Amino acid sequence: MIPALGEFALWIALPIALWGCALAFLGGRWLRGDLILSAERSTYAVFGLLFVASAGLIVAFMGDRFDYWYVYNYSSTNLHPFFKFSGLWAGQRGSLLFWALNLSFFSVLAVWLNRRRNRELMPYANGVLLAVTSFFIIITLFVTPPFEQLGFTPSDGRGLNPQLQNYWMTIHPPTLYLGFTAFTVPFAFAIAALLSGRLDARWIEGTRRWVLTSWFFLTLGIIFGMRWAYEELGWGGYWFWDPVENASLLPWLVATAFVHSIMIQENRGMLKVWNMGLVVLTFLMTIFATFLTRSGLIESVHSFAQNLTIAWIFLGFLGVVGTLSLGLIFWRLPLLHSERQFESLLSREAAFLLNNLVLLGAAFAVTWGTMFPLITEGLIGSRVAVGPPFFNQVNIPIGLVLLALMGIGPVIAWRKASARNLKRNFLLPTALGLAVGTVLYVAGVRHHYAWLTFTIGTFVLTIIVIEFWKGTRARARIEAENHFTAFIHLVRRNRRRWGGYIVHVGVVIMFMGFAGSAFDREARESLIPGESMSIVSAFGHEYTLTYQGLSTHQDPNMWRVIALMSIQRDGVEVGTMTTERQMVVAPPQPITEVGIRSTLFEDLYVILSTLDEQVGMGNEPQHQRATFQVLVNPLVPWIWYGGLIVAAGTLVALWPGAGVPTRIPAPGAGSGTAPGAERRREEASRPERAADPAAPVG
Amino acid sequence: MTVLLLAGLLATVVVAYVLHPVVAGRWAPMEREVDELTEAQHRKRVALLALRDVEYDYHAGKLDDADYRKQKSQLSLEALTALDEEAGEWRTRFDASAHELGEREERARREEVEAEIAALRASIREGTVCTQCATPNPLESRYCGECGSALPGRERARRGT
Amino acid sequence: MSRDRRFFAGLVGVAAIVTYLVWTGISDTMVYYMTPSELVSRAEANPALLEQGVKVSGNVVPGSYQSRADELLHTFVVEDPDDPAVQLTVEFRHPLPDTFTDEAEVVMEGRYLAEGVFQATEVLTKCGSRYEAMPEEGDYSSASGGVSG
Repeated sequence: MIPALGEFALWIALPIALWGCALAFLGGRWLRGDLILSAERSTYAVFGLLFVASAGLIVAFMGDRFDYWYVYNYSSTNLHPFFKFSGLWAGQRGSLLFWALNLSFFSVLAVWLNRRRNRELMPYANGVLLAVTSFFIIITLFVTPPFEQLGFTPSDGRGLNPQLQNYWMTIHPPTLYLGFTAFTVPFAFAIAALLSGRLDARWIEGTRRWVLTSWFFLTLGIIFGMRWAYEELGWGGYWFWDPVENASLLPWLVATAFVHSIMIQENRGMLKVWNMGLVVLTFLMTIFATFLTRSGLIESVHSFAQNLTIAWIFLGFLGVVGTLSLGLIFWRLPLLHSERQFESLLSREAAFLLNNLVLLGAAFAVTWGTMFPLITEGLIGSRVAVGPPFFNQVNIPIGLVLLALMGIGPVIAWRKASARNLKRNFLLPTALGLAVGTVLYVAGVRHHYAWLTFTIGTFVLTIIVIEFWKGTRARARIEAENHFTAFIHLVRRNRRRWGGYIVHVGVVIMFMGFAGSAFDREARESLIPGESMSIVSAFGHEYTLTYQGLSTHQDPNMWRVIALMSIQRDGVEVGTMTTERQMVVAPPQPITEVGIRSTLFEDLYVILSTLDEQVGMGNEPQHQRATFQVLVNPLVPWIWYGGLIVAAGTLVALWPGAGVPTRIPAPGAGSGTAPGAERRREEASRPERAADPAAPVG
Repeated sequence: MTVLLLAGLLATVVVAYVLHPVVAGRWAPMEREVDELTEAQHRKRVALLALRDVEYDYHAGKLDDADYRKQKSQLSLEALTALDEEAGEWRTRFDASAHELGEREERARREEVEAEIAALRASIREGTVCTQCATPNPLESRYCGECGSALPGRERARRGT
Repeated sequence: MSRDRRFFAGLVGVAAIVTYLVWTGISDTMVYYMTPSELVSRAEANPALLEQGVKVSGNVVPGSYQSRADELLHTFVVEDPDDPAVQLTVEFRHPLPDTFTDEAEVVMEGRYLAEGVFQATEVLTKCGSRYEAMPEEGDYSSASGGVSG
């Protein structure tokens, strides 16, 4: 009953969304408050309806309603309820509904938070949000219907892909989707600013938090995906540059560029056209990412005869949105002139601009590499693929430039930095960086890129620590506070600056974690119980693994074969670890469950790769022969720690009540009287405004 | 049957909720909110924030004395221009609604605000803009009226650097 | 004006460097992607291909899979989907993806050693029938598949 109601709700969500979309634009154009209110209510109503629809789908999953095609294909009776719940976003059909739900949630938030603010922008912004929502509802209804029925009721479903039955895989897609959809709000504000012609800084004010929110979720989503790949795919890596991963990276790269360049516009009134372009591009990239992951376009070239309808629909949408946005920007060019000029190449603006170019360059390279098989097939008829070596070769140098910029940016002043001061500020960090570099070289690090990463990374970390130290010390001295209080107050006063630095610390640590992969060690051996193998890590620790034996377990949906190993580190017994192979019953598929033993500096990663055919035939050691692949991955834990720091820094920058005042008290002489003066003046002007409610003010 | 009933109910409620403003003539607010910035206020804010950054950069040793002085005077000028514009905005609005006030009160209020504007101009010129939160403070303040931080710019101003 | 020109030059410079990186990256790392019959016929026409890495896709011949744990070697036979007469014997020394079965459709990267032997450095499997838009790529691929983002 509830699933049926959900389907019905989805059907009426479409006319409501279209109605609201039309009314929002008309209301904005004709300054008709009633139409605008009706449009805003449509936004709320659409969210309610999509919520009912999603709830209906979840109820269908929970109630094992296998008469639904989607439930039948992504669930089974013995699936854990947790994964039944996440069935909502497990496959294409549900996840597009889920996308619409997320978007509509953020639309409600945006409309509600601005119900009394940014009124000149809101009708258009709301219209754009509803237009995008409508697009996804249309796809959900007509192309990938989640409520499609089979016409009969199978006794059990086909089960969820076991590789997806993992905690990280359950939270990874929703996190990414939150990031994708949250970026629709800045896009909507940008379009609203273009349409209404109110291209002053207000639309940026209104969207700053949204941009950071989106960036926060995108970053977390990507890291969750890496974590999943590392734990679940069982080959010891976390990133393979596969099209789906690249798809999530693209919007992140462009959004990161935007997060930086927007500061130039806020502080200096420059790069207005550029920022408009970046907003539009980021939004297009989020749609493109959804499209790549959901259409299977890239894979289809390889071997799948996919239904390409959805690909064409998405491409059409991208084309229309891109063309309209560019047209709008072009139309409003006269209003987007720069208020100032670049004063010097040696300035923070220039550093930010370089950061932007480099990030866009990376995005370009990733797009190119991802689409390369498609392009070559279209152009020369034969498919040419590029793999991870291409992406590494192009992106590692780019990443190193970015890393260096993270150190240069904070020290270089806005407008015009003096070379002499720069030299003074760079002296200690450069010396420390080179010192670490020398130590590493002496210690035998010969991998160029890894060496550069650690050297430049140390340079950047030193600069940031000095920045924090200088600020804290100055504040402690001036305010006579102890250093801890001074530090807290310092960060609180300008959360965006200091939060940003914290993010940079996290990114540097993550980069070092990536560089660690240059020193992976690997060993593979076939053992019978009692035999051992050993491996020496890049840090010089020798691990000896002794194979103790196999045991089998039967869980509701799988057989598990578990190998027990005891571990010695540098000759000292440090415990045991297990590594498994599992045979899932529905759908029948083996999966590898790797054993990971993590320390601060390295991971011991054990894969049970091959079992002898006769496993389970007897208890004699020769019947338990198994092949183990053992990896020692240095610094991989730093990626996760760095990710945590990045998330924390973003939250600092994002937290409400940020130190940058949203408003400078207007003419105010005495301490504290300024806001009062402002209030009085507003009161004085109120009667005039009340006379005509429709008159746009400001 | 129940499904049909519920679906009908859902549809009715939603349509009524969405159509109500149009039918009943209820309007959404169309004005800008009291504490939203006007264009001039915004320009002033940007200039003051930039002044804050210049102060910070100078203290952190990223700016030369010469560059610091040059940038500071330039940004102060921008802030003052924006301030004048803002005062102009205010005067226009005030004039439009002044008839509602008594003559005496009108003059009193006008003088009060003009005095505030003058004080603010002075504070921007003399550099008692708070380095922490960018609030302009009166000349004699030692601590920022908005956030309570000490005003280092003032010490320097007195020393005459 | 000259300042603007300088920035423009910087912009062009960065664009040129990125283009250079992409260009050399592609020419250094690109591999041809072929079917077994294309591979065999081209290798006959042009023996230089034997030195080059290629990507090949095909179907595993049911029952052809053999594995010897003590030698850490997997072998199986792959046939051309359109021309089952063309077959390659594949040797692979890494763990196979979880989704590898006797009937899988596989994409392999590696070198053709002539005489119908293919030495794979990477094996991916595709089983698109089950999870639309989500080929199962295992092993050296991440297969963050259809469900990721």
